[in-house]
Amino acid sequence: MDVTLGLLDHIPAGDDGGGGGGGGGVPSGGSTTNRSILTVSKEDNKNTMVMSSEVTSGESLDGLELGLGLSIGGGGGGGGGLKSKMVANGGGGGWSQYARILTAKDFHTSLVSKPNSCSSSSSVNIPNSSTSGTKRTATDSVSPPNGTSVVGWPPVSKAHRMPTLANQIKSATENFVSKPEQNKSKNQTIGIKDYSDERNGLSNKKYRSVKVNMDGTLIGRKVDLNAHTSYEMLAQTLHEMFFSRWSSTEAVKPSRLLDGTSEFVLTYEDKDGDCMLVGDVPWEMFLSSVKRLRIMKNSDSNELAPRFQETNDSV
Amino acid sequence: MDPAATGVTVAGTGADPAKTTMFPEEFLKRTFSLINSDKDRNSVSLVCKDWYNVERMSRRHVSIRNCYSVSPEIVTARFPAIRSVTLKGKPRFSDFNLVPDDWGADVQPWLNVFATAYPFLEELRLKRMAVSDESLEFLALNFDDFKALSMLSCEGFSTLGLEAIATHCKNLTELDIQENGIDDLGGDWLSYFPENLTSLEVLNFSTLTSEVSFDALESLVSRCKSLRVLKVNRKINLEQLGKLLVLAPQLIELGTGTFLEELVSGSVNGLENAFSKCGNLVTLSSFWDATLLHLPVVYPVCGNLTFLNLSYANIGPDELEQILGRSKRLVRLWVVDTVGDKGLEAVGSHCPLLEELRVFPVDPFDQQLGVTDSGLVAVSKGCPKLHYILYFCQRMTNAAVITVAQNCPNFTHFRLCIMNPSEPDYLTNEPMDEAFGAIVKTCTKLERLSVSGLLTDLAFEYIGKYAKNLETLSVAFAGDSDLGMEYVMRGCPKLKRVEIRDCPFGDSALLSGLTQYESMRSLWMSDCNVTMDGCKKLAEEMSRLNVEVIKDEGGDDRLANKVYVYRTVAGPRKDAPPFVVTL
Repeated sequence: MDVTLGLLDHIPAGDDGGGGGGGGGVPSGGSTTNRSILTVSKEDNKNTMVMSSEVTSGESLDGLELGLGLSIGGGGGGGGGLKSKMVANGGGGGWSQYARILTAKDFHTSLVSKPNSCSSSSSVNIPNSSTSGTKRTATDSVSPPNGTSVVGWPPVSKAHRMPTLANQIKSATENFVSKPEQNKSKNQTIGIKDYSDERNGLSNKKYRSVKVNMDGTLIGRKVDLNAHTSYEMLAQTLHEMFFSRWSSTEAVKPSRLLDGTSEFVLTYEDKDGDCMLVGDVPWEMFLSSVKRLRIMKNSDSNELAPRFQETNDSV
Repeated sequence: MDPAATGVTVAGTGADPAKTTMFPEEFLKRTFSLINSDKDRNSVSLVCKDWYNVERMSRRHVSIRNCYSVSPEIVTARFPAIRSVTLKGKPRFSDFNLVPDDWGADVQPWLNVFATAYPFLEELRLKRMAVSDESLEFLALNFDDFKALSMLSCEGFSTLGLEAIATHCKNLTELDIQENGIDDLGGDWLSYFPENLTSLEVLNFSTLTSEVSFDALESLVSRCKSLRVLKVNRKINLEQLGKLLVLAPQLIELGTGTFLEELVSGSVNGLENAFSKCGNLVTLSSFWDATLLHLPVVYPVCGNLTFLNLSYANIGPDELEQILGRSKRLVRLWVVDTVGDKGLEAVGSHCPLLEELRVFPVDPFDQQLGVTDSGLVAVSKGCPKLHYILYFCQRMTNAAVITVAQNCPNFTHFRLCIMNPSEPDYLTNEPMDEAFGAIVKTCTKLERLSVSGLLTDLAFEYIGKYAKNLETLSVAFAGDSDLGMEYVMRGCPKLKRVEIRDCPFGDSALLSGLTQYESMRSLWMSDCNVTMDGCKKLAEEMSRLNVEVIKDEGGDDRLANKVYVYRTVAGPRKDAPPFVVTL
C-alpha cells in the first residue's frame, strides 16, 4: 500500500520511491525549486521512506501543500498553518528560512529541532504576541473542539485531572508482559542493579512505555509499545486514547493518524532528541530509537528534523 | 526562650558580652534540642558565633526548598548531624507542563553526599525532584536507619524502585507516594516487604494504577500494629477495604479504594461495622466512583472527620449534602465542581468550622458551568473561619469576591482560578481588579494569592499597596504593562515566590525587582516580554542569583521565553541540560 504524504501534486520525487531505502534522502542538487513528495510504501510490514522536500521562498503559501510529515494539510490548512509562532517575529518574509529546510547545503545547519522540541510541550497554538504585548485570550488561540488549548492551563495538577482518564490509560498500558525475572530475587544485597537494562532493554522487551502528548491536550498519556506490533496498532491505541471523545464530531480514523489525512501528525522524539515522523522506519527500528511520542497539529509539522536515510547514519 | 536564663544580652543594656560565652555548651545544646522550628533555629544561629556553632551541631532536620540554592557539600559541612531532609526541586509550574523534562533536580547527587555525611539519615521528603529507580535502591542500601520516604510530584522512578525500598529498609515507618509520574510497571512491589517488617506507620500508594497483591497488603496491615495512615489505590474494592479496616481500627487517616462494585447486603453491614470501629479516623480521602449506593458505609465515622478529600469523587450536591450533614467537625474539605453551587450551599450550612475549601474542576476544558460566584459567596457566609480557598470556576463577579472578603477577612491563602484566560466580570464586563483589590485590602494576613480573570495594572497596584504579608503570588494572562509587575515588586516586602506566565511584563518589570530577588526564593516568568538582554543585565547586577533561561524550540533568540531566577550560594548549575542557559 502506497501512502502518499506531503505534497499533493504528485510530482515524482525523482528518487527511488519504492525501494528499500535506496536513493538519497535529500536531493543532491540543492536546488531551491525542487518540490518532491514523500512516500511511504508499506510492504510486508517493512516501512521504507524516501523523503526529500523543500520549498522556495518564492512559492505562495496557499499553493504549497508542504508536508514533511505524515500529514497532508488541506491547502489552506497547510499554508495557513505554516505561520506558526516561529514566524511571528519576522512577518511574512521570515518564513522562508523555515521553509527551506532540506537543501543539501543547508544540511549542516539544518533546522534540527532543538533537543526538547518534542519533550517540551510549550504552547504551539498561541500566536506569539510578545512583540505586540497584547494579552492573549482564549479567543486568540486555535482551540480544539472543547475549549482552550493553552499549555498548562487551567493549572490543575496531574492528580486532579479527570479521574475517568485513568480507565482509558489502563486499556493501553496493561498489556505488558511480565517483567524480567533474572534480576529479581528477594533480599538480594549486591550492588545497585542497572535498571536501565530492565527498562530499556531491547532483547528483554517487556514493558516498554513511552509518554504521548498531544498538542492542545493538557494531559499526557503513556502507551506500552511492546504491546503493539505495528504502526497500525499503535495508531489504533492512540486514537482510542485521544480521539474517542471526538468520534462524533470529527472524522478522525486511526489510520489517518499515519497516512496524514487528518489534521494531526504523529511524531516522535528519538534518542538524539530529534523530532521525527512516525512511520518512516521499520517498526523494530522505531522501537529502538523512540523516546516519546507527540501528536502534533499539522500546522507545526515544519518544525521537524530533516529526514535522511538510516543507512547513512546510525539512528 | 527566656533571655535572662540564657544570658543573652539585649542590645543596649550594656551587659558584658563575655557573659554569653560562659554558659557551658552542654546547656546550650540541651536548650536548643528543644527547638524544632526551622525559623526559630535560623534566628538562634544569628545571635553569635557560639550559638551558631551549637545550633548547627544540634540540628536534626533541614529543609532545602530549592535544591539549586545550595549544594549538598555546603549543607553537610554546616550541619553534620542531620537525620531528616526535605528537598524541593523544580519550579511549581512544572506541574503544568511548563518545564521541559530532563530539566534537572536529580536527587542522586544529594544522596551521594549524604551517604558519607549522613549515614544515619532517617527521613527524606522530596517534592518535584527527579528520582530514578537507581536512586531509590541507592537510598535503600546505603542508609541502614532509613525510616521515612515521602515523594510528592516526583518523577522518573517505577515500581521497581519501590521494590528496592520495600526489600532493604528494615526499619521503614513511612512510604508516602503522592501525585508522582511513576512508571507503574505493576508487579509485586508490595510483596517485597519482609515478613518481619512490623514498623510501618504510614503507607500511601493511592496514585499507583496497577494492582498490588491483596494478600501481601492484608498481611502487612495485620502485622503493622502502629499503622496510622493507609491510603490504598483504586484497585482495592470495598470488600477488601472492609477486611483491611477490621485489621486496622486504629487508623487515623484512610484513603479508600473504589466504590464501584456492588456489595451484597451482608457485606455492606460488615463494612459499616468496620468503619464504626475506627474511632480515631479523622481523615478520609479517595472515594473513587462513589455514589449514594455505598457512600453510606462511611457515615459512622463522619462525625469525627476533620479532613474530607472528595476530589476524586464526581459526586453531586445531594450526595455531598448527605455526607456533610453528618460531618459537623470538618475543618478541611476538597471537592469536585460536580457538586455545583447547590453543593456549596450545603457546605455553608453544615460546616461552621470549615477553614479550608478546595474546589477542583471535573473537566478543565468543559465549558459546563461547574461552580460560580454564588457558590463561593454561600460558603463564605456559612464559614466565617475560612482562611484557605482554592476555587476553579468558569465565571466570577467583582461583587461576589468583595462580599467574600467581607465575610472572611482572615484569608491567608486566596487562590481563585477563573478558567477562561482574561475573563471579565460576567455581569458588568469589567476587569476583576476590584475583586482582588478587596481581598488584599481586607485580608491583611494574606500570604498566598493566585489571580485570574481580566486584570489591568490597577489590580497589581492594589496588591503592591496592601498585600504587605504576601509571600507567594501566581499570575497568568493579566496586566497591561511593566507597571503592573513593578507595583508588586516594589510594594510587597515579604515576597518569596513569584510565578508569572503570559503577561505583558518586560525587562523593566524584571529589573524592578532587583533588590528583592536575593530575599526571595525564586521568580518564574514565562511567555512574557522579557528579552535576553534584560536577563543578562539582571545577571550582571546580581551575582548571587542564577538567572536561567529555558530555550524553547524555534522562536526569536532575543526573547527569553522562560526565565527562572533564584538566589543561590552554589553558583551556576553544573548539571544544566543544554536547553537551560545560565546568564
